Amino acid sequence: MICLSKNEQGAELLANYLAKTLDAPRTAELARHIQECSDCRGLASVWERLDEFAVPEVSPGFDARLYARIAREEARLSLRTTWKSWRRWLWPPVAPLAAAAAVAALVLFLQVPGTPDAAKQANPTQSSKAEIEQVAQAVDDLDLLTPIDK
Amino acid sequence: MEAVVALERDAQLMLRVREGDDTSFALLLERHRGPVVHFLYRMVQNQAVSEELAQEVFLRVYRSRKTYEPTAKFTTWLFRIATHVALNSIRDRKKEKGHESLDEDALDGVERQVADRQPTVEQEMVHEVRLREVRQAIEALPAKQRAAVLMHKYEGLDYTQIAGVLSCSESAIKSLLFRAYESLRDRLSHMA
Ligand SMILES: [Zn+2]
Repeated sequence: MICLSKNEQGAELLANYLAKTLDAPRTAELARHIQECSDCRGLASVWERLDEFAVPEVSPGFDARLYARIAREEARLSLRTTWKSWRRWLWPPVAPLAAAAAVAALVLFLQVPGTPDAAKQANPTQSSKAEIEQVAQAVDDLDLLTPIDK
Repeated sequence: MEAVVALERDAQLMLRVREGDDTSFALLLERHRGPVVHFLYRMVQNQAVSEELAQEVFLRVYRSRKTYEPTAKFTTWLFRIATHVALNSIRDRKKEKGHESLDEDALDGVERQVADRQPTVEQEMVHEVRLREVRQAIEALPAKQRAAVLMHKYEGLDYTQIAGVLSCSESAIKSLLFRAYESLRDRLSHMA
């Protein structure tokens, strides 16, 4: 049975038939069948109708736009790598200092916009436990306290 | 035989990209730019959107170069990325606009190209009507069927590759494709 509508391979068979890649006996058999079977004639004509769906040319600037995106992404990645290598360099002697500086900076940053009352609290010794935890959390987020050799 | 050579060529190029050879990436782009953009164009039926999505596809290819392993045929891998990107975009656009048919801006480049050929007014009208019918019939297919038909009909992927792209069994793809062609026939048969 070669009816395309009753054949699991129908789509493939039809594609090969229209591309003239079937062997001669099968081509002849299918051609005869398509004459007689309106289902198969319908499928064959759909295949041909789909050829009408033309596509526009790819815009000339396509590659340039892509390479610009790739360059932007590469730049971002290399910035990240640079930051990591600086951290590595800084780590043993200076990192605790850098961390301390970051804590101080963060405490200042958190307190500065406040009222005189808040300014009074800028001294870390007077900060509440919650605030210290908050700052520690922020520094953790900055990844400054993570040992490199971990 | 030719397919094996093509597999090796693309995979080899990609392996060279993995080693940092950007010329090989340019060659891959040259070979696959057209098929990927055209597949996406027929998926979303909008030139600007399809090119934006194709950029995303090639960006992902480049991004994953360091971990690339030639386990599947390169085309299968590439179209898996393209289909993923297309299905996401279709889903997002549906969410944004609600379920609607072809929007006006979708009928762009091709009809302009048709006009450039300067046929008679009647020829042009008939052609436009027929083209619109084909586009709407394709658009009416469920997205996965649409992707399968486009890969099968226009990009020459076989059942095995389409099954690889859509992560289905080959027999599932056979019946999916057949259902798709039957619904296209039912939609288009009155004007064959
Ligand atoms: Zn038949």
